[in-house]
Amino acid sequence: MAETADNIFKEFREHSVAEFFKKNRQMLGYSGKIRSLTTIIHEYVTNGLDACEDANILPEIHVKIKQLGNDHYQVTVSDNGPGIPKTHVGKVFAQMLAGTKFHRFVQSRGQQGIGASGCTMYGQITTGKPTHITTSAKKGKVYECDIMFDVKNNRADVSHEVDYEGDLKGTLVVAEFKDVTFNWSEYGPGEYLRRTAVANPHARIVFIAPDKQKFIYERVVNILPKKPEPSKPHPRGLTVDDFLDYAHSSKERTIKTFMTKTFDRVSSAKAKEVEGLTSIDFNRKPDSITWKDAEEVVDAIKKVKFLAPSTKELKPIGEKQIEKSILNVLEPDFHQVLTRSPSVYRGGVPFIIEAGIAFGGKAGRRGNGDAKVEVMRFANRAPLLFDAGADVITKTVNNIDWRRYHLKNMDSLPISIIVNITSTYVPYTSAGKQAISDEEEIRKEVTLALQDVGRKIGEHLRREYRKGEKAAKRSTLLRYVPETAGAIATLSGADKKKLELKLLKMVEDKFKNSGKADEEEGDE
Amino acid sequence: MAAKKSGVKVNPKQRDKEVSKALEGIGKEVAQEIMKSQSPNVQIPVRSLSNITFNEKQKQLQLGNAMSKRSFMNVAHSRKFMQTMLVTSWINKELVKEGITTSLRDMYYALKRTIPGTKENTVEEQGESDPIVIDLETMVDVLREELHLNADVRGRVVGNVVIKDRGDKVNWAKLGSGGWSIPSNIENIEFDSVDADYILLIEKNAAFERLHEDKFWKNENCILVTSQGQAARGVRRLTSRLSQEHNLPLYIFTDGDAYGWYIYSVIKWGSMNLAHVSDRLGCPNAKFLGLTMTDIDTYDLADYTIKAKDVDMKRAKELLQYPWFQKPEWQSEIKMMIKRGYKAELEALSSKGLRFITQTYLPDKIGNKDFLP
Repeated sequence: MAETADNIFKEFREHSVAEFFKKNRQMLGYSGKIRSLTTIIHEYVTNGLDACEDANILPEIHVKIKQLGNDHYQVTVSDNGPGIPKTHVGKVFAQMLAGTKFHRFVQSRGQQGIGASGCTMYGQITTGKPTHITTSAKKGKVYECDIMFDVKNNRADVSHEVDYEGDLKGTLVVAEFKDVTFNWSEYGPGEYLRRTAVANPHARIVFIAPDKQKFIYERVVNILPKKPEPSKPHPRGLTVDDFLDYAHSSKERTIKTFMTKTFDRVSSAKAKEVEGLTSIDFNRKPDSITWKDAEEVVDAIKKVKFLAPSTKELKPIGEKQIEKSILNVLEPDFHQVLTRSPSVYRGGVPFIIEAGIAFGGKAGRRGNGDAKVEVMRFANRAPLLFDAGADVITKTVNNIDWRRYHLKNMDSLPISIIVNITSTYVPYTSAGKQAISDEEEIRKEVTLALQDVGRKIGEHLRREYRKGEKAAKRSTLLRYVPETAGAIATLSGADKKKLELKLLKMVEDKFKNSGKADEEEGDE
Repeated sequence: MAAKKSGVKVNPKQRDKEVSKALEGIGKEVAQEIMKSQSPNVQIPVRSLSNITFNEKQKQLQLGNAMSKRSFMNVAHSRKFMQTMLVTSWINKELVKEGITTSLRDMYYALKRTIPGTKENTVEEQGESDPIVIDLETMVDVLREELHLNADVRGRVVGNVVIKDRGDKVNWAKLGSGGWSIPSNIENIEFDSVDADYILLIEKNAAFERLHEDKFWKNENCILVTSQGQAARGVRRLTSRLSQEHNLPLYIFTDGDAYGWYIYSVIKWGSMNLAHVSDRLGCPNAKFLGLTMTDIDTYDLADYTIKAKDVDMKRAKELLQYPWFQKPEWQSEIKMMIKRGYKAELEALSSKGLRFITQTYLPDKIGNKDFLP
């Protein structure tokens, strides 16, 4: 019996999801043993944070990594979120591309809707074991189950379901993985969580490492971040393909109304202006637009001036919040933070750069021995640990002449440089989503932000240096008082004690009022 | 306080009292300032080239009027101020009042100790305490010897001279091959009898030995001095006193290079570092005998010259600029040396025979009064 086209297609599709994952593991963050484990932690923690924030709950995330064998670990992550309704547990943990954020024009931490399902899949293909979920979506009711990924049907295979009474809050995931490794490098889960804590001062994060070390990052901000709102795309950010997609899925009756309703900052007057630059009648139906038409429209859009995109949807971390988390996590001797005003890249994508510098304390990267400078990169609060060399933030940090800010030998100083980009669309260099591409406007904003905090740090260092210098001068003078007084007493016959007391008082007076201290200094 | 003028004899004990009073005066002044809550300070004449002038009339390098202020409350000065007080107090108490004379090195060790409660010493090296002595000399206008400190002891002398030194009568004609070793302090030497027509000062010890062995001083009736390199204070003070108190011409005989000529310059006009005592150490009537570039031609020594090094050329170019080397004779000599690019040691004369110096060269030069000013 000959197979029908439907059957062939079905077969093709069933295989494709598993094949897609297996073949693109590295694209999704599952490349290398250390990175794989960090990716797993990232997916679970991100899900937990998002779940809490969506439900207006201040997040508390517990992460435990336990070593079971060589390259074999058990990961336990729990949150205090709203829990997952029974019917959705499978979708969250075992259905690719089922995320709620996919295809929305909104600022978000998440990756591309692979998320927790990717973890389930990875655990399953490396250990053959299911992921165990415990969740409570209703007060007092707990639901537990094992989840396997039914690859053929791209859906969950749920088993060992149990319902009972209990007072669990949120969701608890336990899963095993092989072909992963834990270490304390700057690419490991420990660093990932430390940085997550820096960017999420409203969360309490507890981490128990394989060696039983416990890290607690306390919540220092008791207000949830404002929820980012979905926004309309700005016309200047559109590609021909984007435009065609939007047009064909529009239910508007004319191209004109489609344009004004779908895109940000497009008034009827602006739509008319665009129309005038094309040979297209904007009273046509939007689904009648051809590729060629779309090209013409996108070209015309480039010639028309639009208001800059609205930036109200962007919710940066905020200066106060970053400051609090820096003090909490890094306990620096001093620090500076800055949130820049919103800006726009590629003509249509709004973004905000935030930067901070922390000096001393626990700031800086501690390997073996002394602290070194570290650059913490974040995109929408999510730490970016990999591909640092390709990232515009790293490049900008390296291009700044830090000596101008009293930071000589920058590399070997205990400094953490923090940069967060908040945007509805973060331009990554590759599908790995670990490096932000070198957009001119982003580079400029990062540079200005870092120069600003750098300048303030420099001023601070200069002040500290002067203070130290003054103290040193005072102690120099005090040191010479007794010998000087003694010699003068011997020479003149005056009373040594009196001379000494007078001199001591003169020195103390000189350094009491700060202004006079610098007069008449210099060589003879 | 007025310095002791050359040739004027003062009772040494009396002089010590004056010096001590001057030193104590420094202490009293700063003590008063402290009691008035003013930053204690001392004023010290500046000894850099900028404050040194050449007095054409007196033929002396002289210290100008520029003063620098060393103040305790100025952090850049306070350590030096402390050291100034320590040195002044120590010299007054331990040397001048006790009538003891010692060396700069001894003083350094006597002052060196750890400042209580620190890891710092009052003086770390002799280079710190030595300049303070010169500071004191200029501040109160006294000679180092009057502070009971000896300078380097270098130089010897022979001739028909009898002196009194610490009660001993010393006849310079009867001291065998060594001659009289010139001490640092010449102030209290008394000249009993001086029988000489002139003084010949030789830079090099070897040439001095040669002349002494040939009894040159006896035959020529002169006083023979060697400075053994740059002239120490004792040599300068001795030649200054002899030439001025006994009205003797002074002839200087050095190598034919910029360094030799500078030795002459220091003896005649004074040095930059000790410009404040030029009047006591200088010998304005000194004349330069040789070696000159002209001598090399006259006595056919060109084959015995040495190629001048970069430092020689540099030094020569510096001499060319000094105000006290502006006489046309000197300008022409120095320029000749720079042009030829060679120098000559006074031993070059020995190429003409070991006794050429004593039998031909010196009698010729002195007889013909072939000198440079």
